Amino acid sequence: MTSLECKKVSMKFGALAAVQMVSFSLNSGEILGMIGPNGAGKTTLFNCVIGVYRPTSGKIYVNGIDVTGMKPHKVCRIGLAKTSQIMEPFTGMTVFENVLVGALHGGRMKMGPASYKTEQVIELVGLNEYAYKLSGSIPVPVRRRLELARAIATGANILLLDENMAGLNPHEIDEALEILKKIRDSGKSLIVVEHIMRVVMGISDRIIVLNYGSKIAEGLPEEVVNNEAVIKAYLGEKLSSLKVA
Amino acid sequence: MNYRIDRIILILFLMFTGAVAFVPYLVQSEYQLRVVTVVVLWVGIAGCWNMMSGYTGYIDFGPVVYFGIGSYVVAIAMTKYSVPFFPSLFLSGCISAFVAFLVGIPTLRLRGAYFAIATFAFAEAMKQITLEFDRTFNVSFFQGSDGITLPISNYENSFFFYCILPVTFLVVFTHYFIEHSKFGYALKAIKEAESAAEISGVNTTANKLVAYVMSAFFLGLFGAIEAYWITYITPSDVFNVQKTVQMVIMTLLGGMGTFLGPVVGATFLTLISETLGAQFVEYYLIMIGAIIIVAILIMPSGIIGGLKIRKKLRFI
Ligand SMILES: Nc1ncnc2c1ncn2[C@@H]1O[C@H](COP(=O)(O)OP(=O)(O)O)[C@@H](O)[C@H]1O
Ligand SMILES: [Mg+2]
Repeated sequence: MTSLECKKVSMKFGALAAVQMVSFSLNSGEILGMIGPNGAGKTTLFNCVIGVYRPTSGKIYVNGIDVTGMKPHKVCRIGLAKTSQIMEPFTGMTVFENVLVGALHGGRMKMGPASYKTEQVIELVGLNEYAYKLSGSIPVPVRRRLELARAIATGANILLLDENMAGLNPHEIDEALEILKKIRDSGKSLIVVEHIMRVVMGISDRIIVLNYGSKIAEGLPEEVVNNEAVIKAYLGEKLSSLKVA
Repeated sequence: MNYRIDRIILILFLMFTGAVAFVPYLVQSEYQLRVVTVVVLWVGIAGCWNMMSGYTGYIDFGPVVYFGIGSYVVAIAMTKYSVPFFPSLFLSGCISAFVAFLVGIPTLRLRGAYFAIATFAFAEAMKQITLEFDRTFNVSFFQGSDGITLPISNYENSFFFYCILPVTFLVVFTHYFIEHSKFGYALKAIKEAESAAEISGVNTTANKLVAYVMSAFFLGLFGAIEAYWITYITPSDVFNVQKTVQMVIMTLLGGMGTFLGPVVGATFLTLISETLGAQFVEYYLIMIGAIIIVAILIMPSGIIGGLKIRKKLRFI
């Protein structure tokens, strides 16, 4: 079963083609890694998928439904949620309330069931001790987890994680990986954008590589790291660190 | 814990409203009753602004337009079509709400200062339309700068007090509802981070529109009641930008986006205006200006807003 499919998606900002004719699909229960140098168009592609931008051309299907040009809240309710690279918590609300918004609106739940769902998600990502703190007052690694919790609470079966582990220390990364595996095992499909190769290699079923807006490679993790074009465009300097790990 | 405090506040508020309902029997003069009525009226009007701008963060700089529309609807319905007061009142609310619906669809797409400017421009435009319509089309409908005199009622001040109190009560109670509902979380999410709200499944356009239309409905009611109370309206009075400014200042003083903010801010400002206005006829505006500046400097989030932060209260 395909949960997300992009067909020849392009996004232009004036003369700049941030995403060019990218096609790929995400199977249900799969973790798809997405890598590529800064400016490759990963964030822009995510924004096209969830409807923050309307792609200049191409088609996007979420759970079989054509969502091209649909507003983000609708795409979310069809089953796709995203964490942002630039975190945007609702700072005046507690951690609990942040997650609650996702459950209430993305999950279209009533107050009672939404609160229950929120408790479960907070437990799942290990935010219990921060639940009643204002989200503006928590440290960055916790905010990353909050972004994840809010996305999960929407009940979406597809999650796009845009550098959700940026700024975490190795121990926190291990914890985050455990959480991602739990999420995957609960039946969700994920696309994970990360620069940390240990993370991408360790968790992805498949990997796609973007460079200058175009998809330059796709395949199993070991295929991708041995791909000439990928090494040239992106991995060159990273490969050594990978061999150590 | 906080939820319990919150219940207590609601009960206190209900008891307080109940007590206020006896004011007409307790006052010693018509003047006192008038002052209390004006306070209750402004608590409601400021509350309308808070309902929209306080919770969504969209600064509406033309709310007076819906007050004015309410005044004109009631005046025209009663004088031109001899509709009795209460049906006219209801019509005022509905037409204000309907206009807000039409205006909200395009303007609520605008963010920040652009929304403020658009709403301000719309309010000024309505004032000009009511001023110039009759002369332009050679009819007698809005009666331009001559204004409209409503049928003089035999009602006493207490009648108007009892018209205003339930509407104000509804406005404040709507705040309480907002604080505890799915709808309220949508508004607050929009205020904090609109794009994050959108990707978390909040239908931002629809929720903003509901808040805007609700606020316009109540403003229309207040405009209508006040028009019938003072019996004479002109465009420059009912669409006066001064009213907008007053709503904003009262809410800022009390605390934007708080349940009790407009109640405290409007009461405080109306009462000091009355007291100082009576004693220092020439200087009282300067004094009020100074008080507002000092208050905002000491309590940037308003009286209730500050209390909320300091005491870590969630819903007041
Ligand atoms: N809103 C925008 N307007 C104009 N250019 C943009 C915008 N967003 C991204 N870009 C450009 O598109 C390209 C891809 O950016 P981005 O998607 O953020 O890359 P990545 O997430 O892979 O680092 C970059 O050259 C960036 O400068
Ligand atoms: Mg990016």
